[in-house]
Amino acid sequence: MMLSRIAESLFWMGRYMERAEETARLLDVHFHTLLEQSQQTYLLRWDSIIRMSGEHERFFELYGDATPQTVFEFLGFREDNPNSVVGCIARVRENARTIRDRISRELWEDVNSFYHRIRGFRAGSELLAGPHRFCNEVKFSSHQFRGVADDTLTHDEGWQFLRAGRALERAEKTARIVDVEYHTLLEGRTEHQPDHHQWMAVLKSVAAYEMYRREFHSSIEPRRVAQLLILHPSLPRSIRFNIAELQASLQAISLAAPGTYANEAERLTGKLHETLRYDRVEDIFDRGLHDFLRDVQRTCRHIGDQIARKYFYYAAA
Amino acid sequence: MEPSKVTAAGLLGSYDPGIFYDEMFTSGGEPRPHCVPFFDELAQMGTPQFEECRRLADLAFLLQGITFTVYNDGLGTERLFPFDLVPRIVPRADWDRIERGLSQRVIALNLFLQDIYGPQRILKDRVVPRSLVLSCRHFRREMIGVNVPRGIYTHIAGIDLVRDSSTSEFLVLEDNVRTPSGVSYVLENRLVMTRMFPRAFLRQEVLPVHHYPAELFQILRAISPRSGDPVVVTLTPGAHNSAYFEHSFLAQQMGIELVESRDLIVDADVVYMKTIRGLTRVDVIYRRVDDEFLDPIAFRPDSLLGVPGLMSAYRAGNVALANAIGNGIADDKAIYAYVPEIIKYYLGEEQVLRNVDTYLCSRPADLSYVSDHLDQLVVKAVGESGGYGMLMGPWASKSAIDEFRVRVRADPRNYIAQPVIPLSRVPSYDPATGRIEGRHVDLRPYCLYDGDKVIIVPGGLTRVALKADSMVVNSSQGGGSKDTWVLRGDT
Repeated sequence: MMLSRIAESLFWMGRYMERAEETARLLDVHFHTLLEQSQQTYLLRWDSIIRMSGEHERFFELYGDATPQTVFEFLGFREDNPNSVVGCIARVRENARTIRDRISRELWEDVNSFYHRIRGFRAGSELLAGPHRFCNEVKFSSHQFRGVADDTLTHDEGWQFLRAGRALERAEKTARIVDVEYHTLLEGRTEHQPDHHQWMAVLKSVAAYEMYRREFHSSIEPRRVAQLLILHPSLPRSIRFNIAELQASLQAISLAAPGTYANEAERLTGKLHETLRYDRVEDIFDRGLHDFLRDVQRTCRHIGDQIARKYFYYAAA
Repeated sequence: MEPSKVTAAGLLGSYDPGIFYDEMFTSGGEPRPHCVPFFDELAQMGTPQFEECRRLADLAFLLQGITFTVYNDGLGTERLFPFDLVPRIVPRADWDRIERGLSQRVIALNLFLQDIYGPQRILKDRVVPRSLVLSCRHFRREMIGVNVPRGIYTHIAGIDLVRDSSTSEFLVLEDNVRTPSGVSYVLENRLVMTRMFPRAFLRQEVLPVHHYPAELFQILRAISPRSGDPVVVTLTPGAHNSAYFEHSFLAQQMGIELVESRDLIVDADVVYMKTIRGLTRVDVIYRRVDDEFLDPIAFRPDSLLGVPGLMSAYRAGNVALANAIGNGIADDKAIYAYVPEIIKYYLGEEQVLRNVDTYLCSRPADLSYVSDHLDQLVVKAVGESGGYGMLMGPWASKSAIDEFRVRVRADPRNYIAQPVIPLSRVPSYDPATGRIEGRHVDLRPYCLYDGDKVIIVPGGLTRVALKADSMVVNSSQGGGSKDTWVLRGDT
């Protein structure tokens, strides 16, 4: 028996922790790659990171320009940006705190000490030191969170909600990253040579660079990057991998038989999974990559709404 | 002051037991026999080693999130409830007496509540004035004639004791039979102490406290209105409540759900909680929400913490609450003055633990005495707790005293006054001096009542006024806590 509120908190803990890690990865990889770029691209690219975070409106209300300083502060530290790394971790902790009686003591202490560590960092001094120290801390703390959760929580519905939250967040984020990168790197370009270093950065930001090398043994081609990040069955940050994860956790919660669905969230997830299983990358490009990725993001949002409607919300009494 | 006879180096260097009753040292500066093993432990420690233990203990509390929140910026600052590492050690004989006194008191208060919300014999017999009871802010007319499960009102009581330095006698300072808090600190403090001072625990047999949640769960289970395996939940106002850590700690230790009002719904006088599989019936609610916020239909309509219809479900006998509603008349500070008569009336016994002498401002003679002696008395508002609405006469400014005089005269029923009790002291670490010095303490044991007997985990929360010479132990006023060791024997 699991309270709806607790299931919802676990789901959002999974999402926010993932969001914090993705943001830290983007900041880290781009900062260090762009150090080697010309000034013009340098400015241009920080702009796209803000758009990947989905917070560009809030950003441009607060700042004039997307510079390394403003972006790092905004995405890393601003407490009034709910999607900043620190903001996400604060919300993971707040959710954990309201359900600490239901999670393991180890997981609570892990989240709580992560929060206290992260609150010890300051935007200014971290940027001077190079943001790697901060970003690495977030990345590995997120990995540790997952390990502690997997090893100390019962793998019951609650754990499945945590897993579902992470998978949904990751699928949506990867779709957004590929979408924004394609737009920035290809459609806006006039030169011919592909932007090798920046595509490398994209791969590294989703921990897929080494995988790409093994898979394709070639120089980096945008189309293959898209293929890998969208369709690969076992790359932990590909869209397909995460939609499969999401489907598995939703079915573990509803106990629906394989190949069937018990609710709208499962139907949408299953349908998207089938597309990702049977479409080839050519099919996607024929239909238009941007439209396809927009659909994926929209479907992810619907799935989130449907999960909430099925499991979290009760009509007012 | 005479030079102290305490000779241990470092930490305790020049410890001065002073003019107060010291729980660890005799007035001559010798450790009391039951404190010798821990004294030896301290005597071997230097200040740096003790500081290190303190740091580790604080870190343990911080990492577990045993903090309360002070809001002065966007995210809120978290503070530790200060913990002092020197325990208060209670020999068995003292504890046995405390236990008898508390049991007697809890049973009598429960009988009083049964009577007031039932036949009101004690009012008809004019032992307690009717007007005093009916004018109490926490009297709940809605509870008259309600049959509470097994006749239990005071499932959980926290009774504050002080030790009077002039007689070394334990006295009852006040009763808390609504939603007493602090028991989680008793358990967490003990856990930290066993880690910091394992040798001391090997040398002396300290009675365990960790069965409290299991005992509490048994008490709650037993009042279920349905047979079979009952669904028991803890109701909290939410994560922003200052006692939230305790609510979630107890729920976790008992293995029951911690719910907020938004998790509950009442339909046809039955309480349900909202789960991912639909509505599940709730049988027993261990509620940590005050009476007036429990149900916006029955009580305060502006309450966001309540569950609409809960009172009606309770009256219908479909759900049990612990503690019962309306208990505030039994821990009203004016009713307190009548507890000796209440015990005699229902049990035919003298009280084992005496009250502190109390002036009721509602009595004209007492009011006139209090008015003239405010600078020597402690004055308290009857319905408050936590050190609020209080005047400490000897330490107060003239203007504060004059202001209080006006308030007391305007609403005498709302005030009582007591002489200042010179509280006993326990050696405590002062980080400013790096030394251990005497600090005043009180003691709050936690009593569980199953309708038959009173179960008390040995010890309780020792609260300590960490500021030198302060007698105010409340956490809002610079107080901290200590572990309380009840020994299996007298040494």
